[in-house]
Amino acid sequence: MVELRGVSVRFDATTVLAGVDLSVPRGARLGIIGPAAAGKSVLVKLVAGLVAPAAGRVLIDGVDVTGLSEERLAPVRARIGMLFQNYALYDFLTVEGNVGFPLVRRGEAAEVVAARVADRLRAVGLAGSEGKLPSQLSGGMKKRVGIARATIAAPELVLYDEPTAGLDPVTTSKMYDLLRADHDRSGATAIAVSSDVAALCGFVDRVVFVYQGRAHYQGPAAGLADADDPVVRQFVRGALDGPLVG
Amino acid sequence: MTAVRTWLLARVTRVGAGTIAAVVAARDLWLVLVGTIAGIWRQYGRRGAPRPTDDLVEQLHVIGNRSLLFVAVTLGFIGMVMIYQACLQFSRSIGDLSQVGPQFVRLIVSDFGPTLTAMMLATRVGAGIAAEIGSMKVTEQVDALRLSGVLPVDYLLVPRFLASLVMTIVLSVIGSAIMYGAGAVTAYLSFGVNPRLFVDLGFVEPRHVILGLLKAAAYGAAIPVVAGSCGLRARGSSEGVGWATTAAVVGSSFAVIAIDFALSVGALWLLGGDL
Repeated sequence: MVELRGVSVRFDATTVLAGVDLSVPRGARLGIIGPAAAGKSVLVKLVAGLVAPAAGRVLIDGVDVTGLSEERLAPVRARIGMLFQNYALYDFLTVEGNVGFPLVRRGEAAEVVAARVADRLRAVGLAGSEGKLPSQLSGGMKKRVGIARATIAAPELVLYDEPTAGLDPVTTSKMYDLLRADHDRSGATAIAVSSDVAALCGFVDRVVFVYQGRAHYQGPAAGLADADDPVVRQFVRGALDGPLVG
Repeated sequence: MTAVRTWLLARVTRVGAGTIAAVVAARDLWLVLVGTIAGIWRQYGRRGAPRPTDDLVEQLHVIGNRSLLFVAVTLGFIGMVMIYQACLQFSRSIGDLSQVGPQFVRLIVSDFGPTLTAMMLATRVGAGIAAEIGSMKVTEQVDALRLSGVLPVDYLLVPRFLASLVMTIVLSVIGSAIMYGAGAVTAYLSFGVNPRLFVDLGFVEPRHVILGLLKAAAYGAAIPVVAGSCGLRARGSSEGVGWATTAAVVGSSFAVIAIDFALSVGALWLLGGDL
């Protein structure tokens, strides 16, 4: 479903990604891990068309979306949901307004939007919070609202940027249970970025290790701590000594 | 020799980087302006297009109603100070104060009223727009809008642009009236100028009114475009929002002065120096 061919991203003089190749089949769940500032978030934003590559191509279902205008990207993005690292909830809208926003913008009827919002909020355990503003929510609640918004339009591809960052272990487990149940039901493709490797590996089937601007390692999520690659092994085990730089 | 070369190279690099940054900023400003005009067409020019009237009404309130007191107080004080100084100079030089009011109103209508109102709005409204859009940018809310198929310029800037355009004209008219009224009171209380003598619109001609309204419209269009462009260029975190806000106030104020100069020169040229 998603294919990246030799993609590079540069911000001013800094090269964030350099020739990344990646392929995510339909229905697969891919985890992206790597050290801080390795370009993990940039990678998912690249897939969503929110960051333009300096080189290479991004294909969604075989269609090259590289360099498309915002208008022409709209139908592609309509099939994508995304949970942002900083929640990205609209400050000026209530929980209900935030979750229903993608449907409202598509011109769905108010009753349809209200029903879908209620259903999604129930699914993420936030029924009754419709009237609250984002400023009245805790970090975990904001993440759940973000998940509800990302999945309300039944997207074929869902991108999760740090779905459990800043959450306690219990809430993290609940969050991944929620994502698992959601994807088991919908069959949607998932790409998740997370620093919590152990929890992430319980959700995804494959993992990409982004390191020094490249997809340094790609392999199954199971048994990652015993991967052949010494850099990946050190990162996953959190060992201080080893070849990992930065 | 090497030290001089290094120094020279560093200077040239700095000038080059500054030039590139200025060109990029100008390009972004142009793109925001064109995008906003295209956004107005997309929302209001096409039959059946979705028109976010609630957003527009809210922005009219935020930009217009909430700026009214600020504009009224500042322009009232400026009117008092200017008339006091004018009366003082007139009384020292020619001793006749009968011409202060009629000459002053002409200046207010064609220049001071809209320009000073816009300067006040550049600080209040410009800073507000840049801070709001800038914080949305750094917290990824702008990206979330894009992902929902919404053009940020259409959603965030078009209602602010239209509201600013309308309300700058309205506030300029109100501000000018308050400035003139405050001047009349000051002239009467400080120098005993008869209000009937002061309030004389004989020197105001249609061209002064047209020029004043044209300036107000141009300022009203420039402030949200400059501020919105700064907000959309914000990067990083709160520091980026701070940068955007400062740049918006400086840029909007400069835009007001530059437009004032350009339109005044243009009007003088068109009218053969008789303004």
